Amino acid sequence: MSRLGAIPIHVEPRPVEAAPAALSGTIGGGVAALLTEIAMLLERVAQGGEPQAIDVRSLPMSPDDRTQLVAALGSGEIEITLRADGESTIRETSVRGVWWTEYRDRHGTVVANFIEIAPVPQILVVETDELQRGAERLRAATRVPPPSREEQANA
Amino acid sequence: MPDRDREPTIGELLDRSGVSRRGFVKYCTAMASLLALPPLAGRAMAQQLRAAHRPSVIYLSFQECTGCLESLTRSFSPTLESLLFDVISLDYDDTLQAAAGKQAEQARDRAMKENYGKYIVVVDGSVPTNDGGVYSCAGGRSAVDVLTEAAKDAAAIICVGTCSAFGGIPHADPNPTGARAVSDIIGDKPIVNVSGCPPIPEVITGTLLQFVTTGQVPDLDAHGRPTVFFGNTIHDRCYRRPFYDQGKFAKTFDDEGARNGWCLYELGCKGPTTYNACATVKWNGGVSFPIESGHPCLGCAEPDFWDRGSFYSPLASARWGKAGEVSPTEAAEIAAGAVAVGAALGVGSVLLGRHRQKARIEGSEKQEDGDGSH
Repeated sequence: MSRLGAIPIHVEPRPVEAAPAALSGTIGGGVAALLTEIAMLLERVAQGGEPQAIDVRSLPMSPDDRTQLVAALGSGEIEITLRADGESTIRETSVRGVWWTEYRDRHGTVVANFIEIAPVPQILVVETDELQRGAERLRAATRVPPPSREEQANA
Repeated sequence: MPDRDREPTIGELLDRSGVSRRGFVKYCTAMASLLALPPLAGRAMAQQLRAAHRPSVIYLSFQECTGCLESLTRSFSPTLESLLFDVISLDYDDTLQAAAGKQAEQARDRAMKENYGKYIVVVDGSVPTNDGGVYSCAGGRSAVDVLTEAAKDAAAIICVGTCSAFGGIPHADPNPTGARAVSDIIGDKPIVNVSGCPPIPEVITGTLLQFVTTGQVPDLDAHGRPTVFFGNTIHDRCYRRPFYDQGKFAKTFDDEGARNGWCLYELGCKGPTTYNACATVKWNGGVSFPIESGHPCLGCAEPDFWDRGSFYSPLASARWGKAGEVSPTEAAEIAAGAVAVGAALGVGSVLLGRHRQKARIEGSEKQEDGDGSH
């Protein structure tokens, strides 16, 4: 065995993320339907489709249903605080690509609450014109002002 | 002549006031949620709104109690101030504006002239027509006169509250002032009815925003109400609906059923025949709605709700009268109102509710007779 490549390597896949606790328990019909819908939307996004979202506030859910749903989705690695006209939070769930998004206004009232199915929450994506404006701003900050007449004369 | 199109766009105004793109997308997402649009439509909505100009709004108050305006000023999302500063230009509202007398009337005339064919008229209150309309006058002019003039060059009319939409309480029997709905007087303009006594504040602001965003009148139901807010009955979206389907009803306001949060149908709830967004949008920033507070729906978003019998009679009694048998046609009508799931049970509930309440009333009358109190 003279070459490194000759060493047989068996790559073991990382253990699949443990199924959220509630998934193994009894789930109400409404929550099960919602999880199925999220799975379907994830598949659609995985195949190159547009990001999707489900408006949680429009669903007639009992507090128990909501608790079940939150437990079923679990929590992930990322939590984002958005400070724009009030403090909002975006939390990754244990299912990659599924985000809990809760927008609050400046008084702390929840104004939107939805489950977003996307690689990255859409509100985080910076628009092209904003990138351009940012570049212009930095160039303006580093631009050396043209020499004055006196400086030109001395030179 | 000054023109709204030469003024800055909503986006330019937002940039000047330091509102970030994300802040505005967030705001529009909340709006999209309210309008039952997909949440991610907020991004497209933000782009569209940023490019638009603030429309001129003329708010006319006629035969009303100012409850609708009180409701509007308590809008959480969007707040009234954000609506006023960011999205619309409220050029006339005799209750909110600082100007009074001739200056106020001049402001209205100027807004109408400068925004010919583009302004929105919001009407709050019914229009009295008896005796030359003398029962509601401002600046020496009757409501009919002011409405007819303002509507002439408007892009659309939004009727806020059951009074302007259907005549409301002033129209209730015997209607001494000859109160009429705006749609009875104006027939050649798009009219959107945002009924309710008062309407949910977010439904008022949401309807205005929808109009500004799309520039079009939304889809309307048979009563001219936006289907996005008035597409379902309170009963369809009520969290107590499972109890109705199971036949579990509160029979008094303090019995076991009331304590357990069971259906309020037998206490006179008009949810099955009332179309509104109370059960989903709710009140006070989404805190609750009347049924959640233990009170039956009064049906205030429906025409003539004041004249439909007692608020506390089960729907069957209110619709069918106090005595007499139920005809098959009437039973079928109620069954249709009760929606497919549990419809058969619904008819049963109607009958049971009527009989139970009748028995209770007769029982209490006998007791009162026995007491000699009446």
